[in-house]
Amino acid sequence: MSEQPSAIGLHKQLDAIWRTPPGLAGLSSVNHTILGKRFMMLALLFFAIGGLLSMLIRAQLATPNSAFLGPEIYNQVFTMHGTVMMFLFAIPMFEGFAIYMLPKLLGARDLAFPRLTAYGFWCYLFGGSILIIAMLMGVAPNGGWFMYTPLSSKPYTPGINADVWLLGITFVEISAVTAAVEIFVTILKMRAPGMALTRMPLFAWYMLVTAGMMIIGFPPLILGSILLEMERAFDLPFFDPTRGGDPLLWQHLFWLFGHPEVYIIFLPAAGALSTIIPVFAQRPILGYRAIIAAIVAMAFLSFGLWVHHMFTVGIPHLALAFFSAASALVAIPTAVQIFAWIGTLASGRPRWDIPMLYVAGFFVVFVIGGLTGVMLAMVPFNTQAHDSYFVVAHLHYVLVGGFVFPMLAAIYYWLPHISGRQSLYRLSIPAFWLILIGFNLTFFLMHLTGLMGMPRRISTYPSNWGWDWLNLLSSVGGFILTMGFALVLADMVLQFRFGARFRRDPWQAGTLEWATATPPPSYNLAAIPHIETRADQLQPARIGPALASGNGYLGFARNGEQETLAVDMMSGEAEQLIVLPRRSYLPLWTALATASFFLALLFKLYWLAPLGALATLVLFLFWPISLGSKSDRGPIDIGRDLAVPPDVEALNNVTVLANRTALVMNGTLFASLLFGGLFLLVVAPNWQGSNAPNLPLWTGALAMVASLSAAGAAAMAARRPGSVLPLRAGLVAAIALQSLALILLALSMGTLGDPTGHARQAMPFVTLGYAALHCGLGVIMAAHALWRHAQGYVSARRRTELVLARLWNGYAGGVVVLALGLGALLGLDGVAP
Amino acid sequence: MSSIIEMPLVRLVAGFVIWSIGFVVLYAAQALGCAYGWGDWHRPALIAVYAAVLVPLTWMSLPGRNGGRCGALFAAALWANRSALLAALLVFMPVTFASLCS
Repeated sequence: MSEQPSAIGLHKQLDAIWRTPPGLAGLSSVNHTILGKRFMMLALLFFAIGGLLSMLIRAQLATPNSAFLGPEIYNQVFTMHGTVMMFLFAIPMFEGFAIYMLPKLLGARDLAFPRLTAYGFWCYLFGGSILIIAMLMGVAPNGGWFMYTPLSSKPYTPGINADVWLLGITFVEISAVTAAVEIFVTILKMRAPGMALTRMPLFAWYMLVTAGMMIIGFPPLILGSILLEMERAFDLPFFDPTRGGDPLLWQHLFWLFGHPEVYIIFLPAAGALSTIIPVFAQRPILGYRAIIAAIVAMAFLSFGLWVHHMFTVGIPHLALAFFSAASALVAIPTAVQIFAWIGTLASGRPRWDIPMLYVAGFFVVFVIGGLTGVMLAMVPFNTQAHDSYFVVAHLHYVLVGGFVFPMLAAIYYWLPHISGRQSLYRLSIPAFWLILIGFNLTFFLMHLTGLMGMPRRISTYPSNWGWDWLNLLSSVGGFILTMGFALVLADMVLQFRFGARFRRDPWQAGTLEWATATPPPSYNLAAIPHIETRADQLQPARIGPALASGNGYLGFARNGEQETLAVDMMSGEAEQLIVLPRRSYLPLWTALATASFFLALLFKLYWLAPLGALATLVLFLFWPISLGSKSDRGPIDIGRDLAVPPDVEALNNVTVLANRTALVMNGTLFASLLFGGLFLLVVAPNWQGSNAPNLPLWTGALAMVASLSAAGAAAMAARRPGSVLPLRAGLVAAIALQSLALILLALSMGTLGDPTGHARQAMPFVTLGYAALHCGLGVIMAAHALWRHAQGYVSARRRTELVLARLWNGYAGGVVVLALGLGALLGLDGVAP
Repeated sequence: MSSIIEMPLVRLVAGFVIWSIGFVVLYAAQALGCAYGWGDWHRPALIAVYAAVLVPLTWMSLPGRNGGRCGALFAAALWANRSALLAALLVFMPVTFASLCS
């Protein structure tokens, strides 16, 4: 840092550190800009596949008594349409958008865990490919996108169709949960210095809440999929009412995820709207604080209304009233946001451009969807409209209005950032009108066919029920809609090829992403700015050149390392220097090993599956080898006369926060499992008279004592990082005790009784298995800390590994206590006859 | 130091965390009461939980509960907590009149 290079010189130095070489080396990329674009490109490809499937559906339903697709193919087509659009398009699309955008918006050079981003991408690609290949082979899932039991259970879906869904989607969801942890940690810890939480752009607030919802919302689905796959593969009867299971347990687990999922999809889109609307209204957003309160309210309320998908299954009035009230109430925080956006436009000086056309389309379509949502929240109306085309119309108005229209606005708004070129306009406007008209023609009429009694998912209908012309017009509308999307695609391609180049910030926006060069360089910003005002009211065109010249934090290249900053979560004060890992093929190899695990399960090669899991674990253990430091470095210069310690020398670093977050996610999965056990005990039929699980007191008590003692030993080691002997003794004791707990739990699982005989044995069998697995993880974390200590990576200052060993062993101890508690509780007689 | 500063983030979600706990406890108590036949004690138990949830939410929604501090996050937290109080009042109110087990 003796002499500051020119802006171009600095660019060359930084790019040499951060860039991904072209060609096959691209497979090793961990850069968030590249991976964000890959996520979005793949999501758009899946969107095209889902759209093609919808065309097949509309072709089939255009006329009565159609023989275009047979019922079996039709079942696969509509199931795959819903599955692809929800799991392979909507979620990954906003993940990719957030992965691309958040570091730039926050002033970071990458996400907190770049290799995890890459691993998530490969899981998404491989998992999605399993589903698409299965469809091409004619064995796609065919039980509807929410896979209700008992239809999806083995007796009624004996082929691998349902397994493809359960395993493929679980594989894809790895990318969702890794993205959730990354986004959560990055927003809280990796903002530009000075960007206090209260200065954060609203998009980051929306993504923070969305990530929090994903952390709580996805585990129930993952658990449900694991349980159903275990029932299908190993005959454990969680959903079989003849053996103490209950099909309603699947509905609860699915919709515990499924309804928040709608808001998980909507909130990122709403974040995009809250960014775009003030730019075109030419004034700051109205109600910044009210919007924060509204999205928090929306996030929580969305978890309290999952049963409105189950109003007709036979639920007491009181429970119906809870969920009906919550379903109606969630409209209020939604309305707060909509009024804030309308107020911003009304009090500003709106200028119209292509993104604003889609914003207007959003208002019309989403408000209609919201209003029909309030109608469906009312139990009597819901009972009438349940499983009819009215619901199909409603969900498309909400999801297309709440996600696709805002995402199209976002594409037109941010595509210049990706391409470095501006829109051509000639195709954009007709494309918008085709989409708006085509969408409303297709789906508004479905309200009517639904009210006229047309059930969803029927493959054909007779011609004398009055649905003919409505369905024909819906199909015509569907094809118009597709033409609109085709024009948007052509428009995007043409923009990359022929769009006019521009200098920074073409929209006169106020957010930091426009301070980068466009297309953005591999390191985002040559220097990280100090933020002194709300970060949606900046002047990117002014500060961009200064940052490119290295004026700011870390405005230099040092030691060939990928450096960025961590800040205090609330105040945004610079706190730590993070050195991010360089590009690597490890994420790809690890994802391939994970794929071998899922494929082995899919093809019932059960001897191979543990090897796949073991290979995945071993490869994960290679990840930290290149990380960390063998000496204490103390505060390091970060520019602007400031020095901060490296993150490995701080306790509140991103790794610790990510592990705490992962444990919350894991805890949600375990809580869902406990809920499942208690639900079956209280509600499921055929429990009275069944054999109670045989859980020997001494093995259970000993396992509990051993696991809790292991947690204590790991905690003791973490408290004495500077003393070699107590530290190593603590870790060795943790390994030994947790291993003992694992063995005792495995023994207990063997004594429970036949887990295929009754849910009363199956549920504690799985719960104890979960506890044993976490004892094993506790052993691995303690052994890892011991190994890192022996290698010299752990000291009194550098004790991240010890903290992680303490966290995971503590979690294992808690899980063992609760798992044994559930086992004892299931010894009680059930209630329902 | 950090834990004190982080309090506003806790305040922001505290009201709805209480609402969520209330929701889970009421839904579970409703199911358990029906399954195990709590009879005449069932509704009073639910109403007691309802009241127990409203007390902290009301306290957190009072003016001045931001400790006299201003700033976007404290204001947002106050309004989020008031929203949680409103949500609890409306969503849980059916425990006072709706049929419990049918």
